[in-house]
Amino acid sequence: MAEAIQKKLQAELEKYQQLQKDVSKSMSARQKLEAQLTENNIVKEELALLDIQNTVYKLIGPVLVKQDLDEAKATVSKRLEYINGEIQRYETLLKEMERKSEQHREVLSSLQQEYQRAQGQAVGKV
Amino acid sequence: MASTIHDQMAAAGKVKRSKYLPQGVERLKEEHRKVVKDCRSQFEHWKKVENDYESLQERLRTLPDKLSYDIMVPFGPLAFMPGKLVHTNELTVLLGDNWFAKCSAKQADALVEHRKKHVKNTLDDLQKVMKNFQNRADFTDDLEKLTGDTGDFVDIREEVINEEEVTKAKHRLAHKANSKPKQEYLLDLEEDKEKKEGDEEGTTGVLSEEELWARLDELERQEELQDERYRLDSTDTNGEDTTSSSEEEKEADGGSDVQVNGHQKENGWVPTSITSQMNGTNGSHPEDEEEEDCDEEAGNGLPTIYFSHTAEFKKVRINTGKNTTLKFSERNEQKAQAKRKKKSGKSNGHSPHESYKITSPADIYRVFVDLVNGEPIPRKSILKSRSRENSVCSDTSESSTADFEERRAAFGRSWSHDDATHSDTSDGITEEESPTGTSPHTNGCFEAFTSTVIEKDPLPCSIPHLTIAPPALPTIPERKLEEVGPEAPQEPPKWMSKFKATRLHQK
Repeated sequence: MAEAIQKKLQAELEKYQQLQKDVSKSMSARQKLEAQLTENNIVKEELALLDIQNTVYKLIGPVLVKQDLDEAKATVSKRLEYINGEIQRYETLLKEMERKSEQHREVLSSLQQEYQRAQGQAVGKV
Repeated sequence: MASTIHDQMAAAGKVKRSKYLPQGVERLKEEHRKVVKDCRSQFEHWKKVENDYESLQERLRTLPDKLSYDIMVPFGPLAFMPGKLVHTNELTVLLGDNWFAKCSAKQADALVEHRKKHVKNTLDDLQKVMKNFQNRADFTDDLEKLTGDTGDFVDIREEVINEEEVTKAKHRLAHKANSKPKQEYLLDLEEDKEKKEGDEEGTTGVLSEEELWARLDELERQEELQDERYRLDSTDTNGEDTTSSSEEEKEADGGSDVQVNGHQKENGWVPTSITSQMNGTNGSHPEDEEEEDCDEEAGNGLPTIYFSHTAEFKKVRINTGKNTTLKFSERNEQKAQAKRKKKSGKSNGHSPHESYKITSPADIYRVFVDLVNGEPIPRKSILKSRSRENSVCSDTSESSTADFEERRAAFGRSWSHDDATHSDTSDGITEEESPTGTSPHTNGCFEAFTSTVIEKDPLPCSIPHLTIAPPALPTIPERKLEEVGPEAPQEPPKWMSKFKATRLHQK
């Protein structure tokens, strides 16, 4: 009886750990996105400071490609929106994972209690 | 196998092993410190960035001065080569996220300025976070001290022995207008003529003389009760008392210091008065007073002071005047005095001494102080000092801490002595003044305004007055003027109610 509980406990624990890893991954991805968000915001503001006379280039690989100022502004805005959307997505994902991990935590604790009780009984029997 | 599982679980952070308080606090502090350190390092980093931008700006300003510069051009990681820097006003600026822009030096300058603004904002945020966490860390420190029994914090507990009494008081407060809480109490008495709370002065009606005196005693006790409740009421509104009292609380580690809680102190009067009713008026509390319910350091991590209603207050200093500090010497006397004063004071709802801000009968207790053997004895509540704002019990901290111990010892001495002798009630006149009288003397040097209050005329004992108001009055101006010196001569050895005194005298 105790062994069975133990196995269950083990399995549950592994699942929980996996979940935790996923959570942390999502977390780091989200942080990256946030950094990109701030950067693009700065770019947007600086583009606003420039005038049409300045040439804007975009680095694509090893190449600096000339861009139009307005085009650049539009592109940056689009990118900003995209980043925001991604962040939202990751937010929901994170919440979902949190909830699941919570459930797992509860299951684990109950299993552990069972296990302890079983152990106690076993000891008593012995 | 079990252990591994447990370890795993612990590692997973799922199972919270019960952390003992110090460990938890330690961990918390660790975390705080870590955050603060992180903040600091980040702050350093951003400061460097800002400096870099500053120097860049400088360079940008000077760069277009010349058409071309002769420089040593870096050639790979290890070599330089002489060369020329041309097109000094044309700059390709990285805007971020793989975007570049060609602009002039001045435009670049503007861009750099804009970035510096961002950096400044970040720096400010970091500062705020750092300060926040620093505060938190400090707070945890304080908290640890608080619970770790190492600081100056003292836990004060009051064991309610007789629930009834407390309820009565509360009941009194709650139903102030239509109060009938004293009915129970009244029933206990042998003479229960009056059921109403209101007339404390006593509508005696047609009673024999003996009954009259008994009735008067009763009424005195009722007055006391009511006073306590009034005071309870008013103390609730006076928040200031508690803070200062806490100071005194610390000093008087006897624990029974009523000063800590004005209510409690006052309540202390009430139950004792109730219990002592049967025995008579004055000397009745020896048994009660003996109860030293004040334990210190009762093991809950904090120095705990168990306050009890019946606990004696060892050293209580109150300021009942401009920087006058009074000391308790005897409880009996206080009570008697209180009773007396109450009788005297109560007659005029507002005492003529408006200067002392007597607004309730309870104030009388603090205003009128009796001198017993040179020791000013507040009648009842210590906390109700009229000039609390001025000189409060902060007075006690400086001047009296040294004296405090002496006084406490003296008090204890006198105390035990009194208890031994105060068995009966009726005649507690002369007795124990001498020990108490002498001991405070030894403590002697009060500072100005923190010493004895001398009653001019020992009213009750020798000459039973039936006048109500005047006797109380002389004390106040006396008190004002008095300084250390005049202690001995004039104290009435024991206060008793005028009526009682009259009665005794007549007998």
